[in-house]
Amino acid sequence: MGHGHHKIEITQEQFTVPAKGKRFAIGLTILGLILAGIGIATIDRSGSHSHGHETSTTKHEHAETAAKGGEIAVNEHATEAHAEATEHHGNVENKSFGPRAEFHEQNKPWTTRIWSNVLIVGYLLFMVSLAALFFVAVQYIANAGWSAAIKRVPEAIATFFPVGFILAFVAILIAKNELYHWVHYEHQHLTNGQPGFDAILDGKSWFLNSKMFLIFPVVLVAIWWLLGRKLRSLSVAEDAAQPGDVSFFKKSIRYSAGFAVIYGFTIAVVAWLWMMSIDAHWYSTIFGVYNFATSWVTALTIICLFVLYLKSQGYLKLVTDEHIHDLGKFMFAFSIFWTYIWLSQYLLIWYAHIPEEMAYYQIRYEEYKFNFLLNIILNFLCPFLILMMRNAKRNPVVLTIIGCILIFGHYHDVWLMVAPGVFGSGQQIGLLEIGTLFTFGGIFIYWVLIALTKRGLVPVNHPYIEESAHHDVGV
Amino acid sequence: MGIIDKNLSLRDRNKMLLGIWENEDKLVEATSELVHARVKIQDVYTPYPVHGLERIMGVRRSWLSIVAFLCGMTGFSLAFWMIYYMYVQDWPIDVGNKPVRFSPSWVPVLFEATVLCTAFGMAFFFFFRNRMIWGIKPELLDDRQTDDRMVIAVETGEGVDEKKVLKIMKDHGAVELREKTGGVQTTI
Repeated sequence: MGHGHHKIEITQEQFTVPAKGKRFAIGLTILGLILAGIGIATIDRSGSHSHGHETSTTKHEHAETAAKGGEIAVNEHATEAHAEATEHHGNVENKSFGPRAEFHEQNKPWTTRIWSNVLIVGYLLFMVSLAALFFVAVQYIANAGWSAAIKRVPEAIATFFPVGFILAFVAILIAKNELYHWVHYEHQHLTNGQPGFDAILDGKSWFLNSKMFLIFPVVLVAIWWLLGRKLRSLSVAEDAAQPGDVSFFKKSIRYSAGFAVIYGFTIAVVAWLWMMSIDAHWYSTIFGVYNFATSWVTALTIICLFVLYLKSQGYLKLVTDEHIHDLGKFMFAFSIFWTYIWLSQYLLIWYAHIPEEMAYYQIRYEEYKFNFLLNIILNFLCPFLILMMRNAKRNPVVLTIIGCILIFGHYHDVWLMVAPGVFGSGQQIGLLEIGTLFTFGGIFIYWVLIALTKRGLVPVNHPYIEESAHHDVGV
Repeated sequence: MGIIDKNLSLRDRNKMLLGIWENEDKLVEATSELVHARVKIQDVYTPYPVHGLERIMGVRRSWLSIVAFLCGMTGFSLAFWMIYYMYVQDWPIDVGNKPVRFSPSWVPVLFEATVLCTAFGMAFFFFFRNRMIWGIKPELLDDRQTDDRMVIAVETGEGVDEKKVLKIMKDHGAVELREKTGGVQTTI
């Protein structure tokens, strides 16, 4: 424990990935591939092509469908064309809300489900890795001393964000026509007065169009990547510099401030384009913050888990229970923050009860009630009730269990943003979903472990490394 | 290391030996030495928190977090009862056809009341426990102990070797040594 006031020797540590760690990451990927394979093999492929036009529903059923599917008010006259999907063709059906009849007739190939999963996991890992970079930046801006000893962990996680971006981007390039119904609409080039013309989508088309959709995120990622690379190279250069040279630290603060401002304003754009536009008629002004909260709490969790892992392998000797405690506090606090933002979005829509806003929650509450409530249990109640105790935040076993719950919980949260919007009702997290999460999760872990070996685990010349070694939050 | 009963006012204590410090590191050293020499320290007064001091002195963990939890539960229960009585039993109002019982609109009220009671409760009990309630006369051992000086107070009595205590204090950077009997302090 940091008793303070005596000199702690700061020595460099070089991480080599233990064979067990490598095996775990590779094993997770292989297990994921197997599960995903079984999942793909058991997808009901017949369901996707034929049932789009069944019109044999009675009027009663029709009304029910309209209510269930979250049909919005604009659309009342369009329900004639509404296609009722039969129950057993659950996996790829077109019962989704959306005011245009055309949308409901859009047939989605069974592969859409695969690409939606790649999008979900890719997006999550991308956002999480980027949030880890934001963590590094925040530590610089806030002049934080305590985190210097664990700084290399978020730095290593941050190197993954271009990969996560590419994963999501590939899924979008291949399947954007099925994943985003506004892309499908855009390709029809309808003008005002033509049947099927959609005033809402038309009004949004200055922003929500394929060019913006593909170019904007690439530009943003390029900027983030350059700033991230700069921060990383400064951090590397600092290790080789003279002890006591703070010029790298000062430069890092400036670049961090630049990154934080750009990230703060632009992360929402990616959330709008990639997630919110799945339900293109719907919008929520807090959606960017909501997505940030999800990625931020997951990033803190993953940082904590990697620190615990390195610690268990005998590395990070400067890290004590005090640092672990602080990471636990972060997980606890930002789980509450996530809930706060989640509820802020939900409560206003619930209160106002405007049909066009309700659509998003109606399908999620009525068709996905289990998932809707599970979301709160996993991401709020579990961390809140368990991490409230001080000893839990200092206990590696409890933190690991809660960490796994939180990672799955926030994966589940992103899944719930995507699946109901893309497929309508009848989806559930199955082998394919878990398999995709494991596959890319394994790759992510492997990547980060390798990234950790690239340089020393201790930023020996960081001006606050001594302070971090003495970090003590008291009895 | 036992902590001597703090409920007793400083005025009513036996003769005390006071060491005054200006350097935080030396203060910690001296405290550590006194503890090792099995001297019972009445308390150490510093103008700001000194890291590590509480561990050396063996201060137990504060009950404040448990008090905070209980206050939070109180706030939650009070708010729950209040909403239930006002909004369900006494005068239900139909607002936009929203359900009256256990609806999401309760959440902000429950949250705010919980936070309010926790914050006020913690503040109250913190000041109460630290004898900083209105009406209590501040007991300063040194006028500058809230500014730039630090004080270690050792109560004399049976089994306290005064010479040893004073030697340890002097050897570890005390800038001044005093003896306090009742309200009178004399420099040694």
